[in-house]
Amino acid sequence: MQKESRAYKELGVQRNLGLPKESYTLKESGLQKFGKIFKTFNRGGLLLFFFFFFLALFPSLFAPYSPSERFIPYEAPSEAHLLGTNDIGNDILSELVYGTRISLMVGFASACISTVIGLSIGLLAGYFRGWTAEVLMGFTDVVLLLPKLPLIIILGAFLRPSVWILILVLGLLSWESLARIVRAKTLQLRESGYVKSAQCIGFSSFHIMCTDIIPNLVHVILPKFMLATASAMISEASLSFLGLGDPSLKSWGIMLSFAFSRGGFIRDMWWWYLPPGLCITFCVLAVALLGFGFEPKTGVAKKEVVKLQ
Amino acid sequence: MISTAVKKTFRYLSSFALIVSLNFALPRLMPGDPVKNLIGEDVYVSDLVIEELRAELGLNRPLLEQFLAYIQALLRFDLGYSYHLHSPVAEVLQERIGWTLLFVGVSVGLGAGLGVFLGAYAGWKPETKLSRGLSCGFILLSCTPPYFLALLFLGIFAFKLGLFPFKGFYDTLTLGSIASHLFLPVSVLALFSASRNFLILRGSVIQEKEELYALYARAKGLYEREILFRHVVKNASLPIITLLALDFGFLFSGALFIEIVFSLNGMGTLIYDAIIGKDYPVLQGAFLLIALAVLIANILADFLYAVVDPRVRRPA
Amino acid sequence: MQHNLKKVLIGILILLILNASLGAGAPSSSGAEAKAGIGNETPKVQGPEFQSKGEISEGILAYMQAVYLGAALRPPDEATLSKAASAYLLQLEKTKGSVLKIATPNTVKSASLFGDYSLGIFAHLSNPPLMKMDANGKLVGQLVDCYEVSENNTRWTFYLKDELYWSDGKKVSPKDAEFTIRYYGKKTPSARWINDTLKSSSFSEAENSVTFKFNKPYTRINLEFATYNLLPAHIWEKIEEPQKYIHEGSYVGCGPYFLKRIELKAGKLVFERNPYWRGPMPAFECVEIHFYSNLDVATLALENGEVDTYYKYASSYPYPNIEQLKKTEKFDFLEKTNVGLIFLGFNLKKAPLSDRAFREALSYALNYEELVALETLGYGEVANRGFVPPSMEYYKETEKLKYNPAKARELMKKAGYEDRNENGILENKEGDDLRLTLLVRQDSARTAELLSEYLEEIGLEIEVKNVDQDTWFTLKDDYKYDLTVTRSTPWGMLMHASWGSGYFDSRRSGKGVLHTLEDPAFLQLCDELLATTDSAELEKSAHALQAYYAENLPAIPLYWNRVVTPFNRDFEGWAADPLYGIYNLETFVEVRKK
Repeated sequence: MQKESRAYKELGVQRNLGLPKESYTLKESGLQKFGKIFKTFNRGGLLLFFFFFFLALFPSLFAPYSPSERFIPYEAPSEAHLLGTNDIGNDILSELVYGTRISLMVGFASACISTVIGLSIGLLAGYFRGWTAEVLMGFTDVVLLLPKLPLIIILGAFLRPSVWILILVLGLLSWESLARIVRAKTLQLRESGYVKSAQCIGFSSFHIMCTDIIPNLVHVILPKFMLATASAMISEASLSFLGLGDPSLKSWGIMLSFAFSRGGFIRDMWWWYLPPGLCITFCVLAVALLGFGFEPKTGVAKKEVVKLQ
Repeated sequence: MISTAVKKTFRYLSSFALIVSLNFALPRLMPGDPVKNLIGEDVYVSDLVIEELRAELGLNRPLLEQFLAYIQALLRFDLGYSYHLHSPVAEVLQERIGWTLLFVGVSVGLGAGLGVFLGAYAGWKPETKLSRGLSCGFILLSCTPPYFLALLFLGIFAFKLGLFPFKGFYDTLTLGSIASHLFLPVSVLALFSASRNFLILRGSVIQEKEELYALYARAKGLYEREILFRHVVKNASLPIITLLALDFGFLFSGALFIEIVFSLNGMGTLIYDAIIGKDYPVLQGAFLLIALAVLIANILADFLYAVVDPRVRRPA
Repeated sequence: MQHNLKKVLIGILILLILNASLGAGAPSSSGAEAKAGIGNETPKVQGPEFQSKGEISEGILAYMQAVYLGAALRPPDEATLSKAASAYLLQLEKTKGSVLKIATPNTVKSASLFGDYSLGIFAHLSNPPLMKMDANGKLVGQLVDCYEVSENNTRWTFYLKDELYWSDGKKVSPKDAEFTIRYYGKKTPSARWINDTLKSSSFSEAENSVTFKFNKPYTRINLEFATYNLLPAHIWEKIEEPQKYIHEGSYVGCGPYFLKRIELKAGKLVFERNPYWRGPMPAFECVEIHFYSNLDVATLALENGEVDTYYKYASSYPYPNIEQLKKTEKFDFLEKTNVGLIFLGFNLKKAPLSDRAFREALSYALNYEELVALETLGYGEVANRGFVPPSMEYYKETEKLKYNPAKARELMKKAGYEDRNENGILENKEGDDLRLTLLVRQDSARTAELLSEYLEEIGLEIEVKNVDQDTWFTLKDDYKYDLTVTRSTPWGMLMHASWGSGYFDSRRSGKGVLHTLEDPAFLQLCDELLATTDSAELEKSAHALQAYYAENLPAIPLYWNRVVTPFNRDFEGWAADPLYGIYNLETFVEVRKK
């Protein structure tokens, strides 16, 4: 038990005095569980999230123009263009609305990748202790230390640059912390009564992991997943600033970097550079708020809030 | 206990060895030719000269040979010679690190202090208006791309209000000049660092204060403040130590975006320029240094755990 | 103010005392008189009491040597000297502490005068090259009065100006020039051609001239020598590896200013007036070059008056930012047609761009007017088919590029590119859809966006590939693209056989060049240009080359733009040349407060 408590300490996980609470939640039906999860969501976050989600699904409903239509460049906000026009005369509001899909996609898809990898490595390292764990955690250390910028350039050069490459890169490089959390949690769970019983009955390790452990990790993974989404969106914006993004993807990040590189900031066109920045911020906020809904239960959510740098 | 130590040592050593090899491989995998990069955009040289230059830099040898040479040099603590900066890598790093440590170190320190203090308060009394406002503010902050905030700060404080200079570490080498030049970058960086620490500590404190010992302390009649700072924060600070260890490890990698906006010659721009210019020795040296720093910081954090929480010391 | 006045008075006093004591003890030969003829260049600002600046500095020079070196070399005549000294000191006093500040994004990375690309350019102020390009793009002497070239173009002789002094007081000798050129040839890869082709060199102190003999005809030496910074032989001959010579200052120079300090941590270079400069006296005590890693920040600094002007090699001040500076009413703008340009390059080694008819059709597909409007914000014009901008020597007027998508489609059809299966994409002669890769670097992302739209309009499918700098070089050298947007720098336009030929000649390789054109007719034109220094012949071949471009379209210039440089309205006297913009000696000696 001491070993585990140390692991919890590292992660800021609450030390339970008795059995892990999660072992009880197993008995609930799927629907009840969903309802419970749903309740834990922060309402504001949920609302904000669905707003962006609809923007992403039906951009044409919200955008006044096509994003590639050109008007007079560098226009200030007017009735025709609520947020003005950019350097080549695109309507900024339309660009913003159409950018939602790509930004959300980059965020969620790369979070999916990082979650899957982090989960598998953390799970294996936690369940099979000893050398397997050391090897896997050593690997995690290596990825943590891997210089990320060169890697992004390498992948961008050898593969055809596209949104998928970006997603892959961001996903492959951001799973370390999740792996650590999952491992610690798994260490705790594998000592619990029902896992021990399952082992005694003779279920395979794979079966135990799938049916007994993973369901109990949901509370850890979900908030972490949300935060990974957020950090992917910020990373994308930052990469574009360095000129390593793909300017043909009209995401918020690219909009922002164009606003800076094409004189929007210097011309005081706040209606150009603020909206994409605020959209990123609010989207991340929505995602983070959703994640914080889980706070009282696991407390892990706050752990690695959006790694920025 | 001993076997754990052996395992840990082995793990750290092998990770380190792997990173050392990757540091050699990754820069070379990047597209581009360091030799061509040495020659200007609009300058023409014959192929013969290019070959000569390649030979001079040792880049014409087979990769394996280059790798062995790199390892041998490393064992002699020789980091090689920068292609673009025309000095030994060790010297370049030494020069940059001093200033980077100054500005990132102060920021991380300030950020940790601010984050811990405010985070503890917000966790202790999460329902007050102040802590809600703080939480919202810090979440918002942690959601902002760093260069965006840096440019905004520069636009407001240096340009509009004219309070601070625009660029560089100093104008004349005096304390006042350094302080006024570093004020803005340090504030931006400290805010980011504080926002992370704040959110973590707030969460930790929220959990810890429900623990029995806090209840016991309260029953004993201790003041609230004493319970918070003597007992709860002490127990809640372990995750902060983890994070600070990472932060201090990555101190050496600088803060690229802030350095670009404020035109600071720190580690961030050094690495970025080396990537753009394909300066292999600088990349190898810098990445090696960062890896070492992160690993050492992690090991130190392990010790710190034991100091802060004696239970960790006890064998399993 | 009082403090400064005191300093001047003390200075004059000391000078006078020294003067008296020197004049008493030294043999009398009037150095100042003997040298009077040298400073015959009429200075712009002339005090009432002294004849020329040359004379004054001569006097000061003698003093300095007397005082600091303890050698009474040329004890001058007292009366002249004291007058000169006080006038000079007054002049100095007037400009004391005045600094000209220049913002630049061309960041100097290391304090290696030889190794750092940007520092090499900035050092033109302290160590000017022998030649320069004047405002009209003509090559003229900078440190030389005149030069001559032998009949067969192998022997070049340069006659140095007389009144040049290093900032340590030594006279610039032809030996320095010879040393510099040889030193560059030996020590830098980009100048290795000198080492390889220079047969012999000699100098004559009497004629103050230096002669270079090459082992083959070389016609572009006068241009090449506009880039190599003149170095003092007595300092640099001791330095074995100049690239590795890291030194923060000061450097001995012979320009109006010398490089005093390289302060990388503060992000600036400091140049100080060369006390031995004999030309027109610059109005500022110091020139400071300030580095900004971010363009927006540089603009903010300009707006705030932190700096007086902006300089970036081979680039204009960003057009979108101009309006903002105009609003402050603190800046005027110097406009100069750019010799370099942005162009659409083709992979001439691969179908369909190898087909002249295809390129011809494509040239009508691009909306040049809109490109000019959006990319240059009006600081440019639609280019001609002849590629070369009018600011170059021997420019030939060719047909303007025209936008006519209907004609483009028609020409495509005529050339055999037709949409037979009606999927909206043209097919090539084999019946495959035309899918073209447009390879661009990040900085031309917007241009690529517009271009792909135009080309898709006429039925081509365009895949835009945005890559970083180095990936661009790699893919370009491997011919893995169909179209690319790239730029030529002024120097790039002039290199090889000039008139942009260096970008296309397939016999060359280099970082920015496309090396795609192997048409014998073109290669022969290049060779002809390379074989002559005769201006009539040059003109004929240059015109033929531009006619060739117009006819064959090996690349399409997207627009000709102007280099715009903002400068502080309180100053006047700015000059720009096509090669280095405002960064030329003329600017630095002429610019002064209104």
